[in-house]
Amino acid sequence: MKLAILLLLWQASPVNVRAYDTPNDAGGSITVTWGLDTTWAVSKIEIYRTQDPNVPDTLIETLFKVETQFQDLGVVDKTPYYYRVQIYQGDSLIAEGKTTQPAISTAQWFNSRRLSVLIILIFYTAFLIYFIMRARVDKNLFIRKIAGLEAIDEAVGRSTEMGRPILYVMGLGFISDIPTVASLAILKRVAYKAAEYEADVIVPCYDPIVMVAAQETVKEGYIEAGRPDLYKESNIYYLTSDQFGYAAGVDGIMMRQRPGAVFLQGYFYAESLILAETGHSIGAIQISGTTAVTQLPFFIASTDYTLIGEEMYAASAYLSRDALSLGTIKGEDYIKMVLVIIIFIGSLMETFGIGNHMLVNFFNIF
Amino acid sequence: MKKEIPLAITFISGFLLVLALFIPHKPFGNLEEIFNDWYIIVSGFTMLLGIDSLLGYNFGKIRRKEKDAPYALILILSFFLTLLWGVIEIIRTPEHNPFSPSSTFSRYFYNSIFVPLQSTMFAILSFFIASAAYRAFRAKEFNSALLLVSAVIVMLGRIPLGQGAAPYVITIIFLIFAWYFYSEAVGITETRIKLIYILVAILFVVLIYPIGWVYLRQHIPSFSDWLMNVPQMAGKRGIMIGIALGGIAMSIRIILGIERTYMK
Repeated sequence: MKLAILLLLWQASPVNVRAYDTPNDAGGSITVTWGLDTTWAVSKIEIYRTQDPNVPDTLIETLFKVETQFQDLGVVDKTPYYYRVQIYQGDSLIAEGKTTQPAISTAQWFNSRRLSVLIILIFYTAFLIYFIMRARVDKNLFIRKIAGLEAIDEAVGRSTEMGRPILYVMGLGFISDIPTVASLAILKRVAYKAAEYEADVIVPCYDPIVMVAAQETVKEGYIEAGRPDLYKESNIYYLTSDQFGYAAGVDGIMMRQRPGAVFLQGYFYAESLILAETGHSIGAIQISGTTAVTQLPFFIASTDYTLIGEEMYAASAYLSRDALSLGTIKGEDYIKMVLVIIIFIGSLMETFGIGNHMLVNFFNIF
Repeated sequence: MKKEIPLAITFISGFLLVLALFIPHKPFGNLEEIFNDWYIIVSGFTMLLGIDSLLGYNFGKIRRKEKDAPYALILILSFFLTLLWGVIEIIRTPEHNPFSPSSTFSRYFYNSIFVPLQSTMFAILSFFIASAAYRAFRAKEFNSALLLVSAVIVMLGRIPLGQGAAPYVITIIFLIFAWYFYSEAVGITETRIKLIYILVAILFVVLIYPIGWVYLRQHIPSFSDWLMNVPQMAGKRGIMIGIALGGIAMSIRIILGIERTYMK
């Protein structure tokens, strides 16, 4: 029997096994790699580990599919480990390999895979800070008109004339989502206008934290308009945290209370069209806005005005006309121009097959 | 201080999370996870606020005897019935979590009430898609007409019968366009423009065979894929780049305290 095993081991092909500290991680991990011959019908791969090469190693993992890499997460930092790999075809050992060098796991202080993100972020932040500084001096930065935001006053006014409330839907986003924060800025403007016109704003919420933030925002809008007496906290309430339950609840509010204006601002999923079409059916003027690319076509088809993606993020700056906020929008536009130029150059290079060039290497880091 | 402390917390939290993206080493590496855990704990408690708001709002409706008070009553009864049922089940079988999928109560409630209601709401979507598509695809102007033609091509390219039906559908669409241009030409007095309109109408009729019966009959699935992968994807990626840049700008505004609408 021993002879048979020895014979098998002798016949087994060598496998180039490498073990090294997993790069760009928080430590506690060693990556083991090995080579496989394409002619092998691998049935299982066994990975053995030891801390001392003079002591027999132990089996730590058996892989039952064709893999060439394994990440050992059960290691202690700054401790040397030795690995061995055995590859089987059926029950027969066909190849094995042993590490020659010990692998030591350590935590890294910089994730080099994110170098390109860091470069872009520094570049972008510098642009934004420059334009924020410029905005302090030049108070008249030009920002193009955004129809959806211009129509807010008209929608609130029309709804008031009809003697109907205004319905503001913030979608299924949480307070940690940027579209929800952007939506709060629009809600403040809507509340301000509603207070001026003495109209009611109804805000059914999907998340209790968003509800509290919405209550504060609407209250602030009414205070800024000088009509805190008109603020009704009971109009901003929690509905449900279920997607279609929320859609059903909001649809019910639309059908029963018949709002004159419906704002659909925030992050939406499949319920977007259900809400927008119900709003359309009651004849309300609808202003929508979302950063969910898949839901944008539905809003464009069903609502009167749509804030497309970044327009929503620009809303608070646009509505407040705050010079510092406008500066960031201006900076964003310039960086977009830079990106368009880079994409254009990259497309030309790819189209004409320009390779082995400095610019190609530059684009590769992104 | 009422404003400064929240702004300082926002700045420090935001800055640390940005750092955590680039530094895997502890204590930065798992900061996002820790912050998420805190958020989940806080949001768990705020659910009580939500329940308070929901019940308060619906009790108010009943108290004021509003028109839709019966719905409010159903909601309150359902809420307390669910709660009571859950509590009874915990008392009867303490080891049995009433909200686990294997629980009798949970299974009954989930499969018999919740799933059918959800499915009903989701099913309504198909009707709304039809009505929204009808409005969006009305060829009132050039853009709508372009949208209509693109949508028809994409739909034909994606359905099994599309390849066979494509020549007939394209024939009908081209004939409609030809008829539209011809009828417009009839009402035009200026000869040159009238001639252009008639020529466009003839062009549509002439193109029926090469486009509908020769090219699209064979290539409609690949043409449909091209429409989705090239012009559609280009537009979509443009919007996505804008959203990403807008998101970063908004985050920087929040971290630097320029954007404060989320606080009082």
